[in-house]
Amino acid sequence: MSPGIGSWITLSAALFSIGLAGVMLRRNPLVILLSLEIMLNAGNLLLVAMARYLGNNEGHVLALVVMAVAAAEVVVGLGLIVALARRGSSLDVDDLKGLAG
Amino acid sequence: MSATTLAWIVLAAPMAGLFYNLIVGSSVSRKHATWAACASVLVSFAAAVGVLIALLQRSPDDRQLVSTGWTWLSGGQLHEGFSILVDPLSAVMLLVVSGVGFLIHAYSVGYMHGDREEKRFFAYLNLFVFSMLLLVLAGNFLILLIGWGLVGLSSYLLIGYWWERPAAVQAAKKAFVMNAIGDVGIALALFLLWGHTHSLDVLGTFSAVDSLPGSTTTWIAGLLLVGAIAKSAQLPLHTWLPDAMEGPTPVSALIHAATMVTAGVYLVARCWPIFRAAPEVSDLTALIGVATLTMAGLIALVQTDIKRVIAYSTMSQIGYMFCAVGIGATSAGMFHLVTHAFFKALLFLGAGVVIHALADEQDIRKMGGLGRYLPYTRTLMWIGALALAGVPPFAGFFSKDQILAAGLARADWVGYLVFGFGLAGAFVTALYTFRMIFIVFHGEPTSFARTHAEKHAGHGEGPFSMIWTISVLALGAVTIGFLELPGVSHAMRTFLEPVAPNALEASTSQETLASLLAVSLGVIGIGAAWLLYGRRSDAPRKVAEQTAPLESVLQRKLGFDELYDWAFHRPAVALARGGARAWEGPVVTGSMDLVGATGGWLSRVLGAGQSGLVRVYALVLALGLAALAAWFMAGAS
Repeated sequence: MSPGIGSWITLSAALFSIGLAGVMLRRNPLVILLSLEIMLNAGNLLLVAMARYLGNNEGHVLALVVMAVAAAEVVVGLGLIVALARRGSSLDVDDLKGLAG
Repeated sequence: MSATTLAWIVLAAPMAGLFYNLIVGSSVSRKHATWAACASVLVSFAAAVGVLIALLQRSPDDRQLVSTGWTWLSGGQLHEGFSILVDPLSAVMLLVVSGVGFLIHAYSVGYMHGDREEKRFFAYLNLFVFSMLLLVLAGNFLILLIGWGLVGLSSYLLIGYWWERPAAVQAAKKAFVMNAIGDVGIALALFLLWGHTHSLDVLGTFSAVDSLPGSTTTWIAGLLLVGAIAKSAQLPLHTWLPDAMEGPTPVSALIHAATMVTAGVYLVARCWPIFRAAPEVSDLTALIGVATLTMAGLIALVQTDIKRVIAYSTMSQIGYMFCAVGIGATSAGMFHLVTHAFFKALLFLGAGVVIHALADEQDIRKMGGLGRYLPYTRTLMWIGALALAGVPPFAGFFSKDQILAAGLARADWVGYLVFGFGLAGAFVTALYTFRMIFIVFHGEPTSFARTHAEKHAGHGEGPFSMIWTISVLALGAVTIGFLELPGVSHAMRTFLEPVAPNALEASTSQETLASLLAVSLGVIGIGAAWLLYGRRSDAPRKVAEQTAPLESVLQRKLGFDELYDWAFHRPAVALARGGARAWEGPVVTGSMDLVGATGGWLSRVLGAGQSGLVRVYALVLALGLAALAAWFMAGAS
């Protein structure tokens, strides 16, 4: 017997909260990026679960789109991090606030 | 070829020269460019002679030809053609403009040699000749106004030719502004004319003049007169001409003596049907002429710059022409215009030789005894001066005396004023002209003159192109007067009669009286000049001491510059300053500053929230999300 929809929502919310906490608390950009991925995949999990629960395919499609966008986003994000590391900047997001208003 | 075809050639040739110099002028040698400019005007002159011959072959009553190139402006009721009017009046002007124009082009080849931007100079000269010919040939008042504006433009460009001299730039601006006043006058006259006749065609308008209401005619004539006095440097719009001497000397000779400044006289002569229908304005024209010839003659007595002496003399002589056309002696005025073009160009170009020899010095107090270094120039200047002073048989004698005789023939107060002041003017003219001649060419050379003249001695009196051109002008100054030999021939008057008839006919006794008085006063003037300045005595100093207050008034040119400064310049500047203080600063700039300041303030307030810390942003996002979620749940329950 598969778990009910409530369990999936709870799991998704938990993953999202873990990711959010990571983004808010960690200072290493690489870890922030990982946390972001966790949040995105929490969203994906909910999309897929809901699609199965409602019996249509739209959620699956949207989850695939999110994965593609996430892959592109990671490319940019990792590129930025590598560029920062090469410049010799510190890899602490609290120090990288040169673009503040 | 027909007269009109030739007239189109007259007009097109300088235009071709201008474009040649504009397009290929920078890629050919200076010699090539300058001679192209000269050749174009020579072609123009040859065609002008052709126009004269073609006109003379026709019967005297059939010498008014109109040729329309194309319909130039068309819209609503307005259909104006690009048309030219070829008649004896314009033919005479064509010959003067292209003939004297060619000589001065050729003279400039020598005078401007070595100038950095000669090609620009010759392009401007071509532009001027074209504009002047357009003005003269115009068969439509609109075309005339275009020519009128273009001569003003080329005059501006040429006065300010040496743009690195602040005085030249100022003088150019002054000339342009003064001329613009005249242009506005003419434009307003054209509006009135069109409003009443629905035509701007010269001949068409003239035939409609009689049907116009009298006050309208007076206004039209008055506004045309405003244009004429601005262009011809008559009172009270005369202040630009002396300053215009900042331009190169050939320009002074061509534009500010021989041709452009006589355009006003030509305009009044050309529009005689309008002026004759407005007798008050005609009288005013003559009175302005009287006032100008007296005032300019007196100021010329105290000038120390050789070109300014001649410039004031030009104003004075144009005053004579205004008198003539004002009292209705059209052909006398035009005749004086022609003779004046020759002897005044001669005097200017002779002065140019002197200035050239003395390394651009124009102050006559530093000159003296130049006759022994420049004997040929002295002879030619004497011819020019005698012609100007009206001594027979030189050209000025014939033309000036016709004007005075016409004043007598008119036999009313305007005529007698012209006669009286004209006679006094003849004395003053002789006095200031020979003051200049004696100071510059006679007596002992000053050390300044000696140094420069001896340095210059090996080169003759000047480049060949300068010497032969003034020789031709001198020949003209001697012979041109014989066109009108009192009692024998009236070539000029007969030629002009069909298109510009005289209202007056002087009798032989009047002509004799005028001639006798004018010549004796002229000779007395020369004698007085010799007594005062020819003998190098201390007489000038004594005279100057006796008349010091008068002299200082004349030195300040009767205060016209100060008056205009006080009446127009200062109020305008005060208005601008006040406006800047009261309106532009607080309102115009202030409102713009307010927009900027508001934006800046807003950005500072909002920017305070931007810490640059990723986690703060994430926290705000999370809080927003939580708030949204709370709101959904509240809605759901």
